Amino acid sequence: MSLIELENVVIGYRREAPLSPPIRLQVNHGDVIGVLGPNGAGKSTLLRSILGMLPPLEGLVRNPAGRRPRIGYVPQGHRLDFAWPLDALQVVLMGRAGLAGVGRFYSRADRAAAQARLESVGLGATARQPFRSLSGGQRQRVLVARALAVDPELLVLDEPTSEMDPAAEHALLSLVSTLVTEKQVAVLFVTHEISAAAGFAKTVLLMDGAKRFFEAGPTEQLMTSERLSALYGRPVEVRRENGRTLIWLSAQQPAAGGAP
Amino acid sequence: MSFWDARFLWQEPMIAALVGAGLLGYLGFFVVLRRIAFVSAALSQVSGLGVATAFWVGSYFGVSPHDATPPWFSPAAYALVFACLGAALFTLPSRSKRVAPESVVALAWLVSSALVIVVLSSPRIAQEAHEIGDLLFGNAVVVKFEHLVQLCVVAALVLVMHGVLFKDFVFASFDPETARSLGAPVRGLDLALHMGLAVSVAVSTRALGAMPVFAFLVLPAGAALLFSEKLKVVLVLSVTFALVAAGLGYYLSWEWSLPTGPVMVALAAAPWGVAGIIKLVRRS
Repeated sequence: MSLIELENVVIGYRREAPLSPPIRLQVNHGDVIGVLGPNGAGKSTLLRSILGMLPPLEGLVRNPAGRRPRIGYVPQGHRLDFAWPLDALQVVLMGRAGLAGVGRFYSRADRAAAQARLESVGLGATARQPFRSLSGGQRQRVLVARALAVDPELLVLDEPTSEMDPAAEHALLSLVSTLVTEKQVAVLFVTHEISAAAGFAKTVLLMDGAKRFFEAGPTEQLMTSERLSALYGRPVEVRRENGRTLIWLSAQQPAAGGAP
Repeated sequence: MSFWDARFLWQEPMIAALVGAGLLGYLGFFVVLRRIAFVSAALSQVSGLGVATAFWVGSYFGVSPHDATPPWFSPAAYALVFACLGAALFTLPSRSKRVAPESVVALAWLVSSALVIVVLSSPRIAQEAHEIGDLLFGNAVVVKFEHLVQLCVVAALVLVMHGVLFKDFVFASFDPETARSLGAPVRGLDLALHMGLAVSVAVSTRALGAMPVFAFLVLPAGAALLFSEKLKVVLVLSVTFALVAAGLGYYLSWEWSLPTGPVMVALAAAPWGVAGIIKLVRRS
């Protein structure tokens, strides 16, 4: 049984300016779905609709199990206000707020779970360090730990590796891969790192709100030079070698624009 | 007469100053970190409009402000209702990208301020204008016992609410998007936070005065954030700075015959100076 189903969902903020055609999508246990598109394509808006923060303009977001799955959400780190005097552990503990319930205090088990999640992202020693004093990559890992503290069935990540160096990015993606394999957690992530999406996602969603374009399918099928070049309006080269996918922006001008 | 010998004169205002300062010093933590300092100023003005309106409405029904007022003409009730309506207005999500939330706060502050002046200039309540002014803007030197009781009750209720919902207020304030994704009632929490602030501001303003209330909401918490990066320490420092400013401010104003409110404000600002000096010394 799938975790979430989108039935002809049209996303956007205003009816007169929808950001997608009707979308049909199923998110199942163990799925890894990458969302790609240029700036302003509506990627984060799609996540907000799936998270229930923004009602769709049309269609339905269904929970086939009859209840909302537990969702761990990693927002874009730069949106947070670093003036708050919180340490890393206090930020991770917020992931337990939904499980603890409104008006209830965190239990010892919540604190132990938060500490364990912090250790799982390699930051156990920074538990009492101020969140704002951590590097961009460390803060992002704290936010991932907070999402894991939810004990998620679905992990939703909005540009999770944007502030990370390649080593930290690799470590994070490995951690998420382990979760997918061991716990059948579904992952939905927005990224501008096309290579990361190609190497990590089993399914990709290509979208561009301005062109009202949306396409979903297996990564190998959709990650082609033609589609990506048309999506980004620049020539994108895709080459597969020894089981790896190499993707880079070409210096040439695009041969053709418009939706793929 | 020494300060201690005259305690029958200052006991109630001093208790009111300490209770109000402690409450506002705590709430200031959220006011400063949510960057809503001017929401508190606007709420103070909106509650003042409530007081003025109560007198104006009462004048049509022959209610004298010097007599016991029935609840439906009570300035305190009007102040609370107006402040709560203001809090609800500021909690509404902004649907327009063209109008910044600060503009709505500024609009409320300006319109309330102007309307208070208009209402007070009405010939129907001209004789009570001075008395209304005291009710609107407070007077930290003299506090009626009933106002002290109201302040203590409000402080107790607001602090109990915060005791229960503290973790939720922090989460919904720090990262409302993620809080919403976990099913937290962020708008309800915002409303509760703003309502608590509105009621506290409305009641404190009458007891302490508009300027000290604004100062206690902004200065101690802002200074505490300069001294520490730990949540509990910031909270303790914020409340302590506010209490010291209120208590010492009252004492010094008595001893040196200075106006009470401004002395409290100056002392509430003092930790900023200390933080600045420490920073300079560390740099050098």
